[in-house]
Amino acid sequence: MSAIASLFRNDYGSDGFRTCSVTGLDIHRSVENYVKLFGLTAVIALAVGGSFAFSVAMTRWEFVGLLDPSSYYTHLSIHAWNLLIFWMVFMEIAVLYVGGPMVLGRKLPLRRLATLGWVTMVAGAIGVNASIWLAEAPNEAPLLTAYVPLPVTPWFYGTAILFLLGATIAAVPFFATIWTATRDSSRTLPLVAFGAFVTGIIAVEAILGGIAAFAYALAWRIDLIASVDPGIYRQLYWIVGHGTQQINLLAMITVWYFLTHVVGGAVVISEKVSRTAFILYLFFINLGAAHHLLVDPGMSAGWRIWNTSYAFYGAAFASMIHAFAIPAGIEAGRRRRGQGGGLFGWLTSAPWRNPVFASTIFSIILFGFLGGITGVVMGQVQVNMTWHNTLATVGHFHATVALGTTLAFFGLVLFVIKTMFRRDYVSDTLASAIPYAYGAAMSVATLMLMYAGILYGVPRRTAEAVRNIPGSEFSFSAAIPIFMIFGVFALLAILSGVLFVGVSVGSLLFGGRLPAGDDGGMLPEGGLHADGGEPIHAVELRGTFALCLIFLGVFAAVYVLNWYLLTQLWAIGA
Amino acid sequence: MSNPLDDPDDDWWNTPVHRRESIWLGLAGAWSLGIFTWMAGFTQFGDQNPIGTTYEVDPDQYQERVGEYKEAAEETDDGLIPPGDDVYVGAMRFNWDGLPAVLEAGREYDIHLGAYDVQHGFSVRPEENLNKQINLQVFPGSEWVIPMTFDEPGTYHVVCNEFCGQGHRTMHGRFTVVEG
Repeated sequence: MSAIASLFRNDYGSDGFRTCSVTGLDIHRSVENYVKLFGLTAVIALAVGGSFAFSVAMTRWEFVGLLDPSSYYTHLSIHAWNLLIFWMVFMEIAVLYVGGPMVLGRKLPLRRLATLGWVTMVAGAIGVNASIWLAEAPNEAPLLTAYVPLPVTPWFYGTAILFLLGATIAAVPFFATIWTATRDSSRTLPLVAFGAFVTGIIAVEAILGGIAAFAYALAWRIDLIASVDPGIYRQLYWIVGHGTQQINLLAMITVWYFLTHVVGGAVVISEKVSRTAFILYLFFINLGAAHHLLVDPGMSAGWRIWNTSYAFYGAAFASMIHAFAIPAGIEAGRRRRGQGGGLFGWLTSAPWRNPVFASTIFSIILFGFLGGITGVVMGQVQVNMTWHNTLATVGHFHATVALGTTLAFFGLVLFVIKTMFRRDYVSDTLASAIPYAYGAAMSVATLMLMYAGILYGVPRRTAEAVRNIPGSEFSFSAAIPIFMIFGVFALLAILSGVLFVGVSVGSLLFGGRLPAGDDGGMLPEGGLHADGGEPIHAVELRGTFALCLIFLGVFAAVYVLNWYLLTQLWAIGA
Repeated sequence: MSNPLDDPDDDWWNTPVHRRESIWLGLAGAWSLGIFTWMAGFTQFGDQNPIGTTYEVDPDQYQERVGEYKEAAEETDDGLIPPGDDVYVGAMRFNWDGLPAVLEAGREYDIHLGAYDVQHGFSVRPEENLNKQINLQVFPGSEWVIPMTFDEPGTYHVVCNEFCGQGHRTMHGRFTVVEG
């Protein structure tokens, strides 16, 4: 108990504030403690969901074939809910508290609501896990989606609603902070606070959709209404199903701006452009929920084209803006300090041994190249026919969430260990290895999922298909070599995840306490605010420009390849 | 240039954008509009679009319709030969009702997709080339009519790719496409 209590201790002044030795922010005890609380809870969800990654991956690797179908879908559901929802959303509440009161140097208001939100979320999360684990026939495992009219226990829908309500309550103190910080003045919020604010709005939209979807299904399961329409449920469900992933995206990008600045010395090259990109997200990104309905009956072609493209690709355009702005911020910041000449000297001279920096950069690169490109390509109405419900889809969202967001959040947790818990890592070498090991292993596993889906059409959501389809001569055995690679690298990725949890928990329990004023090796060379003062036009951004041209080239190549495969098919559709 | 943790200067909106960022905005904007135009245009000139006509139908009624179709079809060892250009497929836990079927290459059929119980996934590929595959969602309560023309003879395998219950993985059907 005292070990846990000591995690929440720091040297605060008599007013409850302290100044962070890394960011220079004035931090109140109340904010810091709730960030720690939500962050630690998220890591527990990560450990639970990550454990189930083992049984899920080892079942899909039919060479091992760990689980029977009767338990596979249960394990898959728990894996999905803990990692895609609980690990993410608990972290995101922490991100809101960092982006709001912490960046603005305020106390956390309405702390009872924050506590109530946390308790409700924990109760909901435990309830969802229990309802999945204890479900009995005729109820089926919900997976992530709980598509009606497949029977799923009403307890699942009820506890999922409870979790979403809890997240809403926990977000209220954040919105109250933004309200009080801006109501009496014409101030412009710092970019990180602004990003967090847009994240918060997207989150509320997603949550309202989720409550509507699960309440609709719950009403049907407890016989308040006689029938349920699968198409309507899917539309409502994907407001939250996709919406939560948009929260992940926005929270991740906010963390990118935050961490590249603090540990990499990045600047904002254009407030106007970066903020406009967030505004584009605000208007358009939730239209992306339609990505899941592209090969559904009943939707008009116009509806699908408009929504799947986020209205002329408004949100994809926004992402491409951040794809330039964030590396350009690093390039500008470091060139101004004289760190690195040539095309990529600013990048090669960066603090690559700092796991916070490496996690953030790998998150940016891998999200963009593997997750972002595939998301836009598979989101084209026609190409979606070849991706929908294949393992390629699973590859896509492992690239966005398991690589992109998870790596960014790994970086954030490792940053918080130093700056808020004020602990040294138990081992600097092991800590430095985390982003490299996890990023490499998970990238290969993710690529194999994409290949299995796109090149062999292997379906997702099945306990076996590659070596054997019971009752049929047919199987996907041509994909066996792909799965031999997938299985090995999935294991390595899980081991890297264990390394992350081990280093994090180990550092909290056994890491030496950092002396007051010590930056723990987090600050970039030359400190946080290097003087320079030249206007942005005096700084070369050609390294970033070259990287972005490579990105666009890969994007175009993947696009053309997917369309080529599609046009090889027999004629389909009117 | 500013930092993301402080309020920006008052004239942040009027600060000029770096030339290279402006060029990138142009490239990204053009690419966005380009892929939008291609996708929208492909519905007009392309041969592969997940577009058909949907009718609301009671699942029991749809099952009856598939039953009538099976009565009218000719039974062979390889499966049903449809009586006309309409081919009915009924998805149910854990079977494809109406399959296997025998179709002619080069002939346009109207494939009717519907489910009797829960959601299913209609996932088709030729046996010898697994990367040629399509996937469509199937609902109870909807009858989705999608035209298809199989251009090459061979065996096409149908699996369910939406989780429909414990026996989901056993759901397998077949089209045998013969020379027309």
